[in-house]
Amino acid sequence: MVRFIVRRLIGMVIVLFVVSVLVFLIFNVIPNSPPAQRLAGKNATPTLVKSIEEEWGFDESLPEQYVTMMKKVFTNELISYSPRVSVEDRIKEGIPATLSLAIGAGLIWLFWGMVLGYIAAVRAGGWLDKFLTGFAIAGVSIPVFLIGPVLIYFLTYKIELLPNAGYVPLTEDPWGWFKHLILPWTTIAILSIGFYSRVLRSNMLDSMNEDYVRTARAKGLSERQVMLRHVLRNSLIPIITLFGLDFGATIAGTALITETIFSYEGVGYYAAESIAKLELPPIMGVTLYGAFFVVAINACVDIAYAYLDPRVRLGTSAA
Amino acid sequence: MKKIVLTFLVVALAAVGVIGLSSCGGSGNDTTGGGSSSGSGTTAEGGEGEGEEGGILNATYASFPDYMDPQLSYTAEGWTAMGEVYIPLLTYKHASGAEGAEVVPGLAKELPKISNGEKTYTLFLRPGLKYSDGKPVKASDFLYAVERMFKVNSGGSVFYTSIVGAEQFAKTKQGGIPGIKTNDKTGEIQITLVEPRGTFENELALMFVAPVPQGTPNEDLSANPPPGTGPYMLVNVKPGQGWEYERNPEWAKANSKAMPEYPTGHIDGAEVDVIRNPQTQVNDIEQGKYDWMQNPVPAARYTEVKDKYEGSQFIVRDTISTYYFWMKTDRAPFDDQKVREAVNYAVDPAALERIYSGQLKGTQQILPPGMPGYSKFELYPHDMAKAKELIKEANPSDMNITVWTDTESPNNEAGEYYDGVLKELGFNTTLKIINADNYFTVIGNQSTPDLDTGWSDWFQDYPHPNDFFQPLLAGESILQTNNGNFANFDNPAFNKEISKLRAEQLGPEQESAYESMDEEIMKEAPWAPYGTRTLDTFVADNIELESIIYSPTFFEYLTSFEFKE
Amino acid sequence: MTIDPQPEAVPVAGGPGAAFPAAPEGVSPDRSPWYLAYKRFVRNRLAVSFLGLFVLIVIFVLAAPIWADNVAHTGPNESHTLQKLRVGDEVREVVTPEGRPIGPQWFEAGGKFFLGADSRLGRDEMVRLMYGGRTSLFIGVVSGLITTLVAVVLGLLAGYYRGWVDAVIARILDVLWSLPVLLFGIALGVSLAVSGLQIGPLTIEGGSNWIPIFVISIFTVPYVARPIRGEVLALGEKEFVEAAVAQGAGPLRVMFGEILPNLASTIIVFFTLNIANNMLFEAALSFLGAGVQPPNSSWGTMISVGEELLTTQPLLAIIPGVMIMLTVLSLNIVGDGLRDALDPRSKVRLEAHAGMVEPEGASV
Repeated sequence: MVRFIVRRLIGMVIVLFVVSVLVFLIFNVIPNSPPAQRLAGKNATPTLVKSIEEEWGFDESLPEQYVTMMKKVFTNELISYSPRVSVEDRIKEGIPATLSLAIGAGLIWLFWGMVLGYIAAVRAGGWLDKFLTGFAIAGVSIPVFLIGPVLIYFLTYKIELLPNAGYVPLTEDPWGWFKHLILPWTTIAILSIGFYSRVLRSNMLDSMNEDYVRTARAKGLSERQVMLRHVLRNSLIPIITLFGLDFGATIAGTALITETIFSYEGVGYYAAESIAKLELPPIMGVTLYGAFFVVAINACVDIAYAYLDPRVRLGTSAA
Repeated sequence: MKKIVLTFLVVALAAVGVIGLSSCGGSGNDTTGGGSSSGSGTTAEGGEGEGEEGGILNATYASFPDYMDPQLSYTAEGWTAMGEVYIPLLTYKHASGAEGAEVVPGLAKELPKISNGEKTYTLFLRPGLKYSDGKPVKASDFLYAVERMFKVNSGGSVFYTSIVGAEQFAKTKQGGIPGIKTNDKTGEIQITLVEPRGTFENELALMFVAPVPQGTPNEDLSANPPPGTGPYMLVNVKPGQGWEYERNPEWAKANSKAMPEYPTGHIDGAEVDVIRNPQTQVNDIEQGKYDWMQNPVPAARYTEVKDKYEGSQFIVRDTISTYYFWMKTDRAPFDDQKVREAVNYAVDPAALERIYSGQLKGTQQILPPGMPGYSKFELYPHDMAKAKELIKEANPSDMNITVWTDTESPNNEAGEYYDGVLKELGFNTTLKIINADNYFTVIGNQSTPDLDTGWSDWFQDYPHPNDFFQPLLAGESILQTNNGNFANFDNPAFNKEISKLRAEQLGPEQESAYESMDEEIMKEAPWAPYGTRTLDTFVADNIELESIIYSPTFFEYLTSFEFKE
Repeated sequence: MTIDPQPEAVPVAGGPGAAFPAAPEGVSPDRSPWYLAYKRFVRNRLAVSFLGLFVLIVIFVLAAPIWADNVAHTGPNESHTLQKLRVGDEVREVVTPEGRPIGPQWFEAGGKFFLGADSRLGRDEMVRLMYGGRTSLFIGVVSGLITTLVAVVLGLLAGYYRGWVDAVIARILDVLWSLPVLLFGIALGVSLAVSGLQIGPLTIEGGSNWIPIFVISIFTVPYVARPIRGEVLALGEKEFVEAAVAQGAGPLRVMFGEILPNLASTIIVFFTLNIANNMLFEAALSFLGAGVQPPNSSWGTMISVGEELLTTQPLLAIIPGVMIMLTVLSLNIVGDGLRDALDPRSKVRLEAHAGMVEPEGASV
């Protein structure tokens, strides 16, 4: 078990290293706008450009620049080119917003997915079941940037029910925080509620045919007790692992699009902004942060799964 | 297990209930850009005249200035934000329109005495001036500021390299600048140039060389700007998010007495929040959550806002800017003048006016209206047939061209329009759209492949025609990187004329010389200019719209805002 | 995976029409598995109707030149900013002087500007919708082909050779799979849009549609390769492979002659779902400016342009979005149906999910 955890951690480090190298290469090898020239502005002279290159270290060799940048990442000194702000500070400011968005949406889709999936399993074949099937497939087929603008149009413009952009910190104004998050949460949750309810439902239906359930019924437990105590519990385990992976993917991806649509200033918004501007320091910061989240959550999920599955725990790796 | 389910159900019910209640709650959009709180409210303190004195202005910008540092900032946001915090030796008259282009004394007693074959400028610092931290302003602070500007690699350096010794200092950052001599006792400042330069007074009125206390660190101080001399001072600067203004205590005590013509300002201060979504800003102004938005109303809301609020809360402002399409004159197919003329006949400013939702006035000159030296002529009335004929005559060898534009709307649409026009002329075009932050760097780099033609704009740095001709059309401005002369236009006769006119002080003779040069250059058509941009001022209904002064260089003056009674 | 034609019904978890049919009358139960799969698919009304929808959509976008030439009389990139439309007695501006594009005309102007003008450039939205659809579908299908091809090759190599080949390939797939796909997709898309791509003798221009195809293909390979690798590993244990090797078949024969045919159904299903996934990915990239570059248009770029005008002409953003949704939906349902038809014993799962999850049983 310990060996397994250690291996996963080492894997994490390797992935983060590869990510950092890839990002660095993408923005230094593919020719686009050299930052020194960009910083020099509209009335620059060659002298100015050269001075800026020296000031920022752009005249060093690529490996040297990479090492310098990585050092800055770890010592919290990473600064974006223009405006000259600390990348880590911006990311830290954006984290509460992004986490509010992702965790909130995640809890919503998990909760409603479970509730609806449970009901659908218990009443398999009923109208709810059929509706959920449709809803699930629709959910994974709709692009996020269709739902968002549609919600914005109907709920903030036609009827001025909710705010259409921005983030209000929870500590500042809890009500405002909530109001601003309803639409972004809904946008993200719609994608997955159907899917999760279907997964739970199919897991539960499978379990319902298992022997241990028959035993429980034979023991005289009520149907509801059988469902909740045995079927549901066993069906939840794969859901949790699935949720872990999806949550990581949300932070690294869906949140970015949603934040852009709603001008919601979290880390995703900052990432989209920086990538459009081809600014390497923030991109490096945000990508490492995103990759770290994804990899960390994957590792946790794997470790939890390994813990629960004795085959893996005892060292027979199928990898 | 039951407990978990129960908890979940309770939370869900609560969530549903809350969402239900919210439909009864207040509508509209509250937004705060994070950072400083937006206290609404006008604390009135007595009223005199038209508007009220006092109050805190709630302002919003769509982006934080490039730098909150006088020696570094080179954008409209930065100049509007700091224009009244850091007063240079000279400044501009506080008036809208053409009147606001006049250079008047700032921290200096009078306009400079020019001597020594127009190479030496002598000024005297007004006595008794203090920075907002109480330190007295010294003549040698000016030299310190100029040196600081070079040391921090400011984009404004180019305006001051004609000072004796400055070029060397810019390269080595050592040895001081012999061309600037100061005397702290008498307050005398003497600047000697390498050659006569008619634009220098304008350049002395830019914030780049506003004095700062000696010892101010030689690095970007956006997070903690240096003390200034103006009526307001910057406090609580949070880079990326916002900042505040308070009255400069030294202004009332000392500076306003030393500079009586400079306005003191009506409001007591201001709080600025960065709200990146212009639609949100418009909504906020309409609802009175914010009093003023610095950036122009976005195209999607422009017509609506104009119709509803023009005259009461909204006013359209002319700017001194030219929007144009450049053509590389040193390579096929645009090395043929006929081809360039054809492009000018083909581009229709009327169509572009619509693409800009009316925020553009069509022109076909290099200099825009409002700039001294402007005159209207019509060399190329829109005529597609004639354009096609010219192309046929010219029969260019290379019909494959790449068209460049940036992502900022509506410039990208202007670029697509231009691409369509060129296709109609028979060219085989490839359109490349580059992000606005990187655009000028990419097209300014001569080694970028396929730089044939593309979009550009230019807003004046100061109201002098040389500011258009020299950086954009003079041979000496063609650089390997950070090029500004995108047409690579290098005509020795014009180069000579540009240098000659730059050395002379601007008068009616020079203005008419600029007028003819404009027309002569357009005959060669290195560009297809198509318009000049209008911006706007949009305020909430508690602000006196009429009293706001719109400078051609600094845009809205903070000292001119006042609340209605 | 082989399908034994047993008449016994195997319990299947849910899913539309997944029950195993009895052998048709007068037909020997020894029919080829493909025929049986076809029969099963055809009985799935949902899948069949959505297949029909997908075909309709394809016809719709292929008809683009016909509509453009005969009904709308304009190309997708032609700008009509200053034009006026004569509708009955009225004269309408395609783009008003304030920059507002005209709304849907339906057939009032003879089919011109059926859905209105797309922006201040005054281009025909309907024509752009059709041509944009071609781009979106083209990119989705081609990148699907490339991804599937690469994934199959990698999966075969890894699963067959095992050992260090497998270790290397598995590691690479793992790393690729762990990357924040959207972030990298945008970063690569934006950088390559400016500079173009040059690999050896192959040069791709910056504005070409092959750049998004390239970017999308790279990042979706792991989603297909990992499950295929898992299947090959499992198949490798089976006797028929051992038998083939014992008979002296070389690696290529075994891989392509024995294993690959058994992967066929998996490949078909994954390919279909992959196209759906790729279309969503392309739309997301284009929406953020990192995919298809103007003046080319795809449904994703159209949504991005339409979003600006959301409050005045909401249809400009909504219609392309709905088209994407319908296409992806159809592909997902058809893919699901194919999976049910080809392997009714596999658990029903929706795989064309934004974070494509591999089927159970694949190695960690």
